[in-house]
Amino acid sequence: MIPPRSFWIPLIALWIGLFVWGTEAWADTVYVQAKTAQLRAGKTSLDAVVGNVKFGDALEVVRRDGSWMEVKTSAGARGWIFANKTSTSKPSGGNDTLARLGQSMRGGDASATTASAGARGLDKASEAYANRAGVSARDREVVDRMTAYQIPDQDVEEFMREGGLGEYAK
Amino acid sequence: MRNRKIWMASLVALSMTVAGCAEVQRAAEDVARQSGNPRLAGAIHGAGNVVGSLFPIGYEEESSIGQAIALQVVARYGGVVDQPELVRYVNLVGRAVANTSDRPDIPYRVAILDHESINAFAAPAGYIFVTRGLLKQIKNEAELAAVLGHEIAHVSEKHILDVIQRSKRLAGVTEAGLSYATSNPAAFKGVIDGAVKKLLDEGLDQDKETDADTVGEVFAARVGYDAEAYVGLLTRLRDLKGDDRALFKTHPNFSARIEAVQKTIHAKHLVSNGLVLQERFARMTKRV
Repeated sequence: MIPPRSFWIPLIALWIGLFVWGTEAWADTVYVQAKTAQLRAGKTSLDAVVGNVKFGDALEVVRRDGSWMEVKTSAGARGWIFANKTSTSKPSGGNDTLARLGQSMRGGDASATTASAGARGLDKASEAYANRAGVSARDREVVDRMTAYQIPDQDVEEFMREGGLGEYAK
Repeated sequence: MRNRKIWMASLVALSMTVAGCAEVQRAAEDVARQSGNPRLAGAIHGAGNVVGSLFPIGYEEESSIGQAIALQVVARYGGVVDQPELVRYVNLVGRAVANTSDRPDIPYRVAILDHESINAFAAPAGYIFVTRGLLKQIKNEAELAAVLGHEIAHVSEKHILDVIQRSKRLAGVTEAGLSYATSNPAAFKGVIDGAVKKLLDEGLDQDKETDADTVGEVFAARVGYDAEAYVGLLTRLRDLKGDDRALFKTHPNFSARIEAVQKTIHAKHLVSNGLVLQERFARMTKRV
């Protein structure tokens, strides 16, 4: 006796669901979990750089070997990346879509609050706060300098190389 | 009839606002204003703020909050250590850890507070402080990385921002305050003063501190630092000050923290024979 249609339809739906889920799971995608990262020709920090990827980029894993994995970018570039610079879940980062939308809906005019955010010095909002709270000129200057303080990415890389940190592990 | 049309348009606009369409909200405001109904325009604007205040705080707003809190931290702790090489070193360790954090896409800066107490703080948008007193207790770079990892985790997990958003809702402050920081400085000051009180006087919730310990431990270990280093530092501090909350009065007791960190090391298979870099640390911090 052939089972009724009410039996087959949920079963087929379940198969399709499992297939879609399985395809996702087998894809083995990782995401760049570092501000920037380099793809290298081999699995050591001494191998030539063959490409650069940035925070949040999706990478397809080709194979894993110790602390390194060979990956493929969406553009088709292939290379080795230090595994600790990747994550299996997509990172949301610092300023996600919801946050931007919320700021927009609150009527946030970026120029009002971020006269110099990311550049030099206090912005208008914190400057107004400092005035109202009576913060001294000396303390303002400290935070002003702190805000402007920058270290180039290559200096951080060099620091890690000297210490044998991250992909520069000996 | 004309008024009815405006009300209908406004109703649609408000629905779109709730659905997340800020452009429509602004268009509806303009229609109401041009139709000679400023009260309605105000109501639409207010509705946008109410809905907007339920969304997370964006980085630009976060930056304003972080700067204002940093001003109070520096003022309360009497300034910072002015030793460029030392400051650069501490920042390099911080950047190495932050670069593999869950939020590497924002700037992080570390300052050393010129104060003998043993403590560390993080303000939103990547403003991090460690006291000279704490730096003196640290024995190697791996311990420093773990301390900075803890503070970076407070930033990446947006712990202070959570406190601010929660207090805003509880207080019924719907006008977000933060985007209006320049037009409504009194509201902004209220938000900041509340956050500073929580950070420096009352302390964050203990679960946030435990979260920062375990998340920060993972950040430091990802860079290659020895995962056990933090356990060593926490144990020494417990021996020094006793197992209560008097040292980091804002934190859970040391035994609970040590246990949570050890559980993380075990559960996440973190490397316990990683780098400690004692010599580099000693060389760079000899004038502390």
